[in-house]
Amino acid sequence: MLFLPSWPTDYLKRHDGGLKGPLVLYEAIKGGLRLAAVDAEASRRGLSVGQNLADARAMVPELTVREMDRPQLEAAFADFADWHSNASPLVAAMSDVSTFGDLVLDITGVAHLFGGERPMLRLLLTRLRDLGYTVAGAIAPTIGAAWGVSHFARSQVVEAADLETVLDALPVHALRLEPAQIAGLSQMGLTTIGQLRPRERKPLQTRFGISLLQRLDQAYGHIEERMVPRLPLAERYAERRFADPIGLMDDVLMTCHDLAIQLGIRLEAEGQGGQAFHLFLYRVDHKVMALSVNSARLTRDPEHITKLFSNRSERLEGEYDAGFGIDMIRLAVSSVSELDAVQLGAFSHRGVAEDLDQLNDRMSSRLGTMAVLRTQLVASHIPEQAARLVPALVASNEDRAGWPTPLRPLRLLPMPERVAINAEVPEGLPASMIWRRDSYKIEKASGPERLGAEWWRSGQRLQLVVPETPKKGEAPPYIPNLPQFDPEAGTRDYYVVEDESGRRFWIFRQGFYTAENPPPWYLHGFFP
Amino acid sequence: MPAPDQQQRLAALRETIADIERKPALAEARVLAEQQDGAFPVLAGGMLQEMFTDERRNGGALLGFALAQAKGLLTSQRPAVIYLQLADEAQKLGMPYGPGLLSFGFDPDALVLVRAANMGDLLWAAEEAIACRAVAAVVADLGSHSKLLDFTASRRLSLRSAATGGSIFLLRYGQGRAASAAHLRWRLSPAQSTRRRHDAKAPGPLRWRAELEKGALIKNAIKNQTEFLLGWTENGFATFTAQRRHADRRIGSATLPRAVPAQLADGLPQTA
Repeated sequence: MLFLPSWPTDYLKRHDGGLKGPLVLYEAIKGGLRLAAVDAEASRRGLSVGQNLADARAMVPELTVREMDRPQLEAAFADFADWHSNASPLVAAMSDVSTFGDLVLDITGVAHLFGGERPMLRLLLTRLRDLGYTVAGAIAPTIGAAWGVSHFARSQVVEAADLETVLDALPVHALRLEPAQIAGLSQMGLTTIGQLRPRERKPLQTRFGISLLQRLDQAYGHIEERMVPRLPLAERYAERRFADPIGLMDDVLMTCHDLAIQLGIRLEAEGQGGQAFHLFLYRVDHKVMALSVNSARLTRDPEHITKLFSNRSERLEGEYDAGFGIDMIRLAVSSVSELDAVQLGAFSHRGVAEDLDQLNDRMSSRLGTMAVLRTQLVASHIPEQAARLVPALVASNEDRAGWPTPLRPLRLLPMPERVAINAEVPEGLPASMIWRRDSYKIEKASGPERLGAEWWRSGQRLQLVVPETPKKGEAPPYIPNLPQFDPEAGTRDYYVVEDESGRRFWIFRQGFYTAENPPPWYLHGFFP
Repeated sequence: MPAPDQQQRLAALRETIADIERKPALAEARVLAEQQDGAFPVLAGGMLQEMFTDERRNGGALLGFALAQAKGLLTSQRPAVIYLQLADEAQKLGMPYGPGLLSFGFDPDALVLVRAANMGDLLWAAEEAIACRAVAAVVADLGSHSKLLDFTASRRLSLRSAATGGSIFLLRYGQGRAASAAHLRWRLSPAQSTRRRHDAKAPGPLRWRAELEKGALIKNAIKNQTEFLLGWTENGFATFTAQRRHADRRIGSATLPRAVPAQLADGLPQTA
């Protein structure tokens, strides 16, 4: 657990070197301007969160004041939290007491990489203090205990054996309780956790609610508390740290290739392959850039993975910004499942489907997933609904035996275009057409092929929101008078027409001839 | 002014140089297919073919001609055809339509559609796709002209396709012809369909008029047929005897007359 009591002000000071002296951030709360964050110097001068801004200005005349920009700070804190995943993959920003300042790191099985728990804590704390952050930290067997110790005691490592003695000495505030609960406990004369623990639980529960006992049990490890890590957990990853930060994308890709080889060897030993690969670039200045690529089939081929990332990086262009340099790169794999080793024969062909899938991967990684598509046929008689374009990575072939194959154009316009049609008689074959300001004399035509609208939707009204049920004595809510779905107006008559030089078009008339206005005609497709 | 026999010798020498200058990839590709008398030949893979049509509204016929050739290249080892189009030209040209492919006789599962955002990406995808051994053909639908697709780019594509054995079809529109390294250049136009049985008013079986503007289908170009009137069935092309078009149709058009390779032996053998 890392506790940064004045993170917002420290962050702003670090970003803007010009901010001097006691700095406070204010926010409009309940109609008044109140302090939302104070830095170390300001709190030494007696200012605290929640104070009125005018009072604070009177107490400290040389106060620097800024308005708090919560969304920006939240995004920055999220980045800050992500950056800590270079110490441990499981990082969560804890926000149940305050929005900023509490970071939880699950360091189970990680500490030995830093030479033990004590050196790791020292490393994490000194590196933040060097950057100008006020920070306290604690390592403890439970999240609750670590929170309490980091907030109300000096930074230390609490062993499981000492947990009770350390916790007993802490004030009840260290249990993450609500203000009302703390007030009640101090009324009862219970100031430390040690005094609270031996009390009977039933009366405590009736007076303070179940949450008090829950916090108590969580701190002592009687019930488990879970954290929600910010980044998806990848069990398998390979990483490399650099003594000097690197910046060029080419270097990053070269490292990525090395890491892919490492990861590939490990996956091969386990008989596994992955479908999603993530490259995390940890910048020196607390930012993490993440690139992800997907593969259509399980793979552990380093060449293929590197190729996908290099294609993906070409799509980055301006987004890539190494800042002051990248000091750690991690390649993680997710969506892992079993992939058996395959014997490559000297005379056998490589899998054709595999080649094709790899091609689709490469093209989607550079052009985007929605740019590489396959047609999926749908059982619908409405032409534009009969074919759906799906990403080639996920497309699957299905059995279409027995489906009718009506005459359909080779090219279809995504949006039908209005045309002007002259027919000798209404309901007769079209005789001439004007499309895109060219006129066509229609020599041959066949039709109509009548495609009815979906009669089962007949009479329905298009509704975007469900109207609320009116309360008693209240007028029913306003329902816009949208036209009802009319299957007659949606019926289309399709014609295949050919002009004098042999171009063949697919046109349709929407609706029927009525007395008032002629129905509109559209051009929908081109025959070969 | 040199004497006539000198001119002849000069022409012969130029031809020799042209043959030397042709890279092996191109020379190999020139031995194309056996042609039965008058029928449309079965063209092998590994060629860059440009297919021109005069106007965008002929796009249906042009795509049909390319897919018809691509269908002949599909095998179990090369089961895919990649279709490339710029994303913002879909409304101009229309997109290949699954049920339409079925009724044309082309399996929609074999077609992968790539919608590139710009010409650079499209050419990258074409090169990437043709390098894959499972791709039978790449059909690039280029609704507009781009500076990026110059002679160098087409030379690159033609060498790639000759090396891997897949074909590239560049579908292009308009009457202008720029220099390119395509092995073959076609000019395609739709022709009036024939009579449908029992219904004289309805469009019948389709007809295309294909004209070879550049390249040779068989090695000795003397007997080479350059104009075809084609029909299409699910099993392949059907060739019909083409009536020669009227000479006056040529006058207004800006297209170059079909070039005989020997006349071009002046240092730029691939630009016709």
